[in-house]
Order: sequence, then C-alpha cells, then structure tokens
Amino acid sequence: MIGLVEMRRRKLQFALIALIVTLISYLVLMINGLGVGLNLLAGSALRNFDADAIAYSERAGLSVIRSEMSQQSAETAATAPGVTASALLGYVAANYQDSRGKVRSVAFLGYDPGTIGEPRVTSGRKLGPGDRYGLLADKSFLKAAGLDVGDTVDIGLRLGVLTFTIEGEIDEGAFFFQPAVYILRDTWRELKYGDIPAAEQPAASIVLLKGKHLTGKFEAFEAVNKDTAFDNIEGVSGQQSTVVSLRVFGYVIGAVVIGVFFYVLTLQKVAQIGVLKALGAGSFYLFRQVLAQVVAVMAAGIAVSLPLALATERLLQRLPETVPIAFTGGTFITTSALLFVTGIAGAMFSGRQVAKVDPIIALGQQQ
Amino acid sequence: MPATLEVSGLNKIYGSGEQAVHAVRNAEFSTAPGEFVAIVGPSGSGKTTLLAMIGGLLTPTSGSIRVNGRDIAQLSGRQQAAYRRRSVGYVFQANNLLPFLTARENLLVVNAIGGGARREAARRASQLLDELGLSERAAALATRLSGGERQRVAIARALMNDPALVLVDEPTASLDSQRGRLVVQSLIAEVKDRDKLGIMVTHDMEMALLADRILEMHDGALRQRPRTV
Repeated sequence: MIGLVEMRRRKLQFALIALIVTLISYLVLMINGLGVGLNLLAGSALRNFDADAIAYSERAGLSVIRSEMSQQSAETAATAPGVTASALLGYVAANYQDSRGKVRSVAFLGYDPGTIGEPRVTSGRKLGPGDRYGLLADKSFLKAAGLDVGDTVDIGLRLGVLTFTIEGEIDEGAFFFQPAVYILRDTWRELKYGDIPAAEQPAASIVLLKGKHLTGKFEAFEAVNKDTAFDNIEGVSGQQSTVVSLRVFGYVIGAVVIGVFFYVLTLQKVAQIGVLKALGAGSFYLFRQVLAQVVAVMAAGIAVSLPLALATERLLQRLPETVPIAFTGGTFITTSALLFVTGIAGAMFSGRQVAKVDPIIALGQQQ
Repeated sequence: MPATLEVSGLNKIYGSGEQAVHAVRNAEFSTAPGEFVAIVGPSGSGKTTLLAMIGGLLTPTSGSIRVNGRDIAQLSGRQQAAYRRRSVGYVFQANNLLPFLTARENLLVVNAIGGGARREAARRASQLLDELGLSERAAALATRLSGGERQRVAIARALMNDPALVLVDEPTASLDSQRGRLVVQSLIAEVKDRDKLGIMVTHDMEMALLADRILEMHDGALRQRPRTV
C-alpha cells in the first residue's frame, strides 16, 4: 500500500498530524467526560432510584424543589392503576462543613425503610425505625467531608444545627449537584416542617412508582419516567445543551481540522498524483491510499488520546476540589467512533481533490 | 506482439472562438513494429500535446489514434486510465519518480496500480534494474539517486508493465549531453530488445538522430524530417 509506505518514510510529517488528531480527540473526550461527570452530579441518585416513574405534585411543574405531596395525593399516586410498588420520598437541602472547614451543600432524602426508596448499603448498616438522627451517606459525601461510617456530622438546616451519626455508606451518587444522604422520612418531615402542625405537613416531595403505563397528568399528581424527571432537574437542560453544543463543535472542528490537514497534504502531492494517474492509477485507487493514511492517523491519534484522557481523569479525581468528570466504555466507544467518522468525512475533501487532478500535469502541461 | 500505431487526421484545439489555439493540426503518421521515432520541434510546437494524446492523457478534438487497430481517441476517462496502465510506458522529464519510494519501489508501484502478481513483479523489477545497471541502487530512495540514475529508473518503470508503446518526453532535459546520450541509447536498446514501439519527444537533435526516424512539428503541423543535423 503506497499510502502506508509514504507514512513510514515521512514519519515526522504524519506524526505531527497524528498529534493534532490526538489533541482534538483528547479535547472531545474531556468535554464528553465532563458532560458525563456533570450529569452524574446533576442527578445520578435520581437515575439510581429503583423506580419506573416519579410522581410530582400537580402544580410543581416537575420540580422536586417545588413538589409537595399531601398524604392523600401521595396515596392516590401510590394506588394508581398499574402501580406495583411505591415509596414516598422527601427532599431538602442542608449544609455541612467539609474536612477543610468549607460549608458545602448536601441533599437529604427522606425514605421509609423496607420500601423501594431504600438505598443499597455498601458498608455499615441500614437505618431502622429508631435511627431518628442516623443517616446513610454517599461515598462522595464521606470523601468530601473526610468522614467514615460511625462518625458523627453536624448538619445545618434552617436556623439550627443537628448532629447525625453516619450508620452506613451508599453508592447512589448525587442529587441536584449535591451528594445524596438518606435519612428517615419522619426525620425529614421534622427537619423541613418542624414548626408546622403534623396534620398540615406534606407527606413527601415525590413518590417513586414501579409498574407499567404510569406516566401522565392526573388530578392530584403528574408522573413522568426517570429520563424526563432528570431533564427537569433545575439547570440540567441548560447544562445538557451546553455540553451537547461543545461536543458537536468538537466533532465539527475536529473534522474540519483533520480535513484541512489532509487537503493541504494532498495539494502538496498534486504532481505525484498526476504521475500516478499518468501511470494508469484510477481516482479510486488513489483515494484508497489517502483513506488508508487517514484511517491510520486517526487510529493512532485516538489510541493515544484514550489513555491520556483516563490518566487526566485519575489526576483530577485526586485534586482536593473534585472536578466532575467521568468516563464510561460508552463514552470512549461513541467518541472514538464519531471522531473516526467525522475525520474521514473531513478527509473526503482530499478525495475530491484527488479525483480532480489531471494526469496531464505529469508532462508539465495543463489543458 | 509487436505494436503498431496509426495516427490519422489528428487535431487538438484548446479553447474556442478567437481564443482557440490549434495545438496539433491534422497530424498523420504510422509506425512499423519495433520502430523508435523521435519528434522534434521548438517549444510550443505541439509535440508534447501529440505525445499526450497518443498516451491517452489528452482527448483529441478530432481524428483517430489506432494502437494495434484500437482507436484510443474514443476511450472514456476510465478506459484511458486502463489503456495507460496496460499499454503505455511513460518516461517523463526528470524528477517524476515518487520521492518517498526507493528505486525498486518506484517500479513495483506500477504493478500495485495494475494489480498484477507480486512475485512476478518483483522478479521483473530485479531484472530491469539489473539490465539498466541499477541493481546496487535498488534500495536507494529516489531522492538519493543521481539525475542519470533517476532517468534510468524512469525507463525501467516505463517497461515494468510490458507496454506496447513507450512514450518519452524530453528524457535528457536535466542531464548533460554525455549522460543524456547514454540514457537514450539504453532506452532505445530496451525498446528494440522487447519489440516495443518507442516515441520520443525532444528538442535535442543530437538525441533525435539516435532514433530510427525523425518527425518534425512546427505550429502544430507534423512532417517527416530528413536525417541530417
């Protein structure tokens, strides 16, 4: 393959192009990783709910912050047709001081033990009905707070401070860009509505539902699937648009840069292409040579960028201020495949240029 | 099989109307098998245009070019490429070797384009390089070869696909007269040994005199020239 032989003989030239591909691929991977990380921060706990749908109060506009469900409307949602299991869940934001004394936010989620709202404990123990000031903390909270199972933590809420004991560790992620911490729903009601008579207190913020055909607007509530619920987390849609735009720009700019590089390379070789055509080479044969070079350069560039991105992720995770970045196999596969396709699409311009070269230039003469 | 060439009523006009340039006017000639013909003439006389049309690089405005009875003036672009691949060997002006390939690879690229058997191509490349005294330079990059060596590699490349026609464009343009003479002599020997048909375009009468026959072009018109300097 003459195209690959040329690469071997012009290592520096092609290594520089591969470096550009590496940098573009690395940039796009980092944007994707940051996008995934932000998504996880926005509501991985919501995605991890053991539920098919989430019910909000009818006027909440699918906002967990605004949603307040009375006992009656929560029961209506829980007993709606198609529901096989349900759990009432309360949400309130609170403060704590991390290991360096910085005030941070934490998402308190109140649940009832034994329901589908109960998180899976990875270390320590579950909460029982008597654990009024016990909590289950996400590992990200423990890392940021510098705490462990069995420690106590002061939580600031409204005008007071309450001391909770960390009874167990969970791996549920974040909720509303805050680490998720689970407490008993009774405690949640006390924290959020302590001075309101019990009969007037809402029973939950949302209701988790399992079953089929659960979504829709009903008289006392509105139920949506988890994807819709995620998209309606405050700030998520704007964040998603930004990340998607960055990705698209990354792919487009990548394709254009790679395309331009190969186009310039092809322009520099017009005389040689003319000679090859004069020797009888068809445009398709020559385009295959360009394509082989593009594929090799893209493969090398992307192959280098993957471990580079992973190493950066590891590095960022070691920083005291956690940067929300996460890579999944899907991120790598999708990003690599899309970059590959866009890079090759960009290189198609070179293919057009190859087809346009007139073999007569081999004789130093233009028509 | 010895090749035959018949050029009849051949015209090439660039542009149209008042801007039209009649590069080749009603050219007529035919060759005998194994003949080596030189076409001479001043710059701009149309000799390279004539060579390009015979080689399937340019389509004539009118007329016919019959190679072994087949009119190549009627070929499509794709057919022209196939004709060049199978039936034509070109020796271009200097420096038309691929610079990133070795002398040997420059020969093998012809086979890669044509898709022939690799082992047979390797054998043929070795044989041609040997015959042209280039065996020891086979692994040298084209950029490391001297002008004379490059032209000899170009001759070997032109013979690689065992063409019916060997077309040569100013082969001595970048060589001194002694080296140029050696290159043309070896070219003619290779063409005659293989019973090919050779056509060489040159402005150098000394080189033209080495050919069997000389045709002269002037303002696009072709005529037989007597073999005198």
